[in-house]
Amino acid sequence: MRDKWWFPVVYMFVMTSFFSSIVIGFSQVTGARVEANEHLAFEKAVLSVLPGLFNEGTSRSELHRRFVERVSSPDKKTGDAYTLKDSGQTIAYALPISGQGFWAPIKGVIGIKADLRTITGIAFYEQNETPGLGAQITKNTFRSQFQDKVISSAGKSLNMKRPSDMLGTSDVHAVTGATQTSARLERIINDALKKWLSEFAQTNGEGRTQ
Amino acid sequence: MAFGVCSNEWGGPDTVNKKPDARKIIIDGLWRNNPVFKQVLGICSTLAVTNLVLNTVVMCVALIFTLSLSAATVSLLRKFTPRNIRMMIETLIIGFYVIIVDLVLKAYWPEMSTNLGPYVGLIITNCIVMGRCEAYGNTNPPGPAFLDGFFNALGYSFILLIIATIRELLGMGTVLGYPMPYFSGPYWDKWIIMVAPPGAFFMLGVVTWIFRSIEIRREHNTK
Repeated sequence: MRDKWWFPVVYMFVMTSFFSSIVIGFSQVTGARVEANEHLAFEKAVLSVLPGLFNEGTSRSELHRRFVERVSSPDKKTGDAYTLKDSGQTIAYALPISGQGFWAPIKGVIGIKADLRTITGIAFYEQNETPGLGAQITKNTFRSQFQDKVISSAGKSLNMKRPSDMLGTSDVHAVTGATQTSARLERIINDALKKWLSEFAQTNGEGRTQ
Repeated sequence: MAFGVCSNEWGGPDTVNKKPDARKIIIDGLWRNNPVFKQVLGICSTLAVTNLVLNTVVMCVALIFTLSLSAATVSLLRKFTPRNIRMMIETLIIGFYVIIVDLVLKAYWPEMSTNLGPYVGLIITNCIVMGRCEAYGNTNPPGPAFLDGFFNALGYSFILLIIATIRELLGMGTVLGYPMPYFSGPYWDKWIIMVAPPGAFFMLGVVTWIFRSIEIRREHNTK
């Protein structure tokens, strides 16, 4: 039978079906989990930029519960941003940002207080920058710089300065050795903020008073 | 049987049609026929994932799993697989195990999955895997094929770990993310280039140089 001309075709077909079925079955089993992980990474990023919702070591299910309970989804008024409300009063917005990084897209969330000026935090849920260099943007040392920075109304909303430079109220230090990642991230943040703020001013009929 | 000769290319003539000897398989895989510094296979991943030790460890475990099981599976099917489509079958089998690894990482260790990015998927094209399946799995029983795959992967792993440890230490002052004395202090000016891609080329060159020199001296002495 092995000498028949059709044997390789049938053999290949049978083998492919066999291995593919196992892979398909396996991905069905893990599929829900994989999707949940991706979703949870986003929820975690949103929670960590909003004040008082995130602390290290919180379990996955607790994070998910907090997200569902406390965070309102984007609506017409807020544009793309998620909102944290406390008894009807808006406390802060979480604006998803994304754009091309050095190697692959960077996706993250930036938190802005209800005054539309003060940054509450920044977090990333998808990036593929160089480990040890560009990937440092996910580390606390880099991210914590953003807290309480003020969005500048003139020029760039936020500036990335060289690690040796003095910082103003709208400046953060770039990542050493990752010029490309820093420059691209700066653009991603500024483009997103500018776009969102102008849209926000339009839909709500009130600009910032400056 | 032109194909039979082809399959010697990677493994050397001594791996075919001889009674398998576990001790020899182990020494060959780890040292005499080491995939990285002797056969210079799988270099792409050697360069790509060695800037952090933790990433390297996971990559090595994934490769050990894939390589040993692929070689064993190829060997199990060797009596049925037609010669002319054997490479398609091998790719299929390798791809099968790699996808399993990828799915497991995505489901249970999503952070690591994002760290390694596309490199887990690229194990499919890692020349070591195909090379061992072709050179050994194709012509030997499953037991020895598994052993051969396992120890070749281990031979690859220990070289990668050496490279990764030195790169992370010199480049970031840490090992496995833990700050090391002196290197994480103010007296050590971190060699950023070591964690960037060029650092991998330097380290691979140096490691290959050192290990080959040892090997040449050893061979010389035994003559």
